[in-house]
Amino acid sequence: MTAHDWFTEHRAEFAARTLDAADEATFQAHLERCEECRREVELLDRELAWLPMGAAPVTPRPGLRRRITEYAVRGPAPRWTRWAVPIGAAAGLLLAAAGWYAGDQRAASLADEVALSRLRLAAIEDTLSVMRQAARVLQAKIDMDGKQGGLVIFADSKSHRWNVVMHGLPPAPPNGRYQFWFIYADGMVRGAEVQGDSSRPVMFTTGMPSRSGEVMGAALTLEPMDAKDGPPRGKELAHLML
Amino acid sequence: MGVDRSKPGSAGRVTQGTRPASSLSVSAREEGLRNRIAARDEQALVELVDLTTPWLLGVAHAMLHDKDEAEEVVMEAFRTVWMSVTPTTAESRGLLPYLLRVTRHRAIDRLRGRQRRRRQLALLTPHELERSTVAPVEPNEAAQPGWQLHTQVHAALGNLPAEQRAAVQLAYFEGLTQSEIAAALGIPLGTVKTRLRLAFGHLRLALAHMKDWVL
Repeated sequence: MTAHDWFTEHRAEFAARTLDAADEATFQAHLERCEECRREVELLDRELAWLPMGAAPVTPRPGLRRRITEYAVRGPAPRWTRWAVPIGAAAGLLLAAAGWYAGDQRAASLADEVALSRLRLAAIEDTLSVMRQAARVLQAKIDMDGKQGGLVIFADSKSHRWNVVMHGLPPAPPNGRYQFWFIYADGMVRGAEVQGDSSRPVMFTTGMPSRSGEVMGAALTLEPMDAKDGPPRGKELAHLML
Repeated sequence: MGVDRSKPGSAGRVTQGTRPASSLSVSAREEGLRNRIAARDEQALVELVDLTTPWLLGVAHAMLHDKDEAEEVVMEAFRTVWMSVTPTTAESRGLLPYLLRVTRHRAIDRLRGRQRRRRQLALLTPHELERSTVAPVEPNEAAQPGWQLHTQVHAALGNLPAEQRAAVQLAYFEGLTQSEIAAALGIPLGTVKTRLRLAFGHLRLALAHMKDWVL
């Protein structure tokens, strides 16, 4: 058996492409220099040319004819056009996600603002309710460093709360502060500390101390900065009795 | 890596002898189509696509079992024809055999490049080895040109002993190599070679009279 016999025996397998990869490569290289094998393989190709017709035909899907002719004539689409649709879809999704995120953030921000506004509105309504329901209104004029101001108290006996308005008073001096007091028969109980502002009234709503039924009135003093507890030590600016 | 051993303008000769009686057998059509395609007539290409695509898809789909990939292979085959076809000469070979060959070779290239090929081989069952790839379809000349070729090939395949037919099925219509066939059937490689050699010998004789048929 000669070396060429192997090629002679395997011509049909080569023509049918059933040789393993290494054998196929060996045979392909042999064909370059063997006219006899080349001629025989061409003959085999022709004789077996119709063998693939043994496969059952498959009906083309709609649109395939157009795709085939476009591909055959114009070749494969450039890489960027092949990726254009997926990239466009991805970009669209990203934009939608970004839009949704931004919208979501804006919605969250607006929701916070609405909640805060509701709280403010509720506070204003509550303040107004104290003033509207007040059974007593007390008022005193205050003369402070040549400026005319005053103190107005709206006392709501139902909710046991007072709405206090201080107006026309300058800011307290550096060594002092304004202090609101409740007056009892046995002395005065410290209430809220008040910041003075001559440009606009200062308003606050305060609940009554524990012995609310025994409150006889209210006072405003200018206390020394170090007077944190105990009875009033500073100048009394207003004194109102129920 | 593709192995494309044939050119549409290479060896071969159109004879006026035995031809199937279907409309596909008219050599004037083959010659006209080839010349028009060589002249870059896109309508001629459309006609060729209409005539041959079902058979090409059949070959590619039988091997790849994937419609999308089969269509891609067929598209590539037509691209090859469009780019390489030359006007008819005395040596010209048929367009359909050439398309069939290119389609089959490209399908084999894809098949052998698949990572999951081994898994697919492992899933082949004895029943599948005898399945429909080479089962004849009902001839319908009016609906599908080429049926007579199909019938003739089936007659040739049907005359093979069962074990040879199974080997041809796996080699030619599934794209398996001899080693893969041996593994799939659980028989020695030498037995596969013998069966294929005998089968191709029988088929050469059985199909020889068709070798110069044209589209």
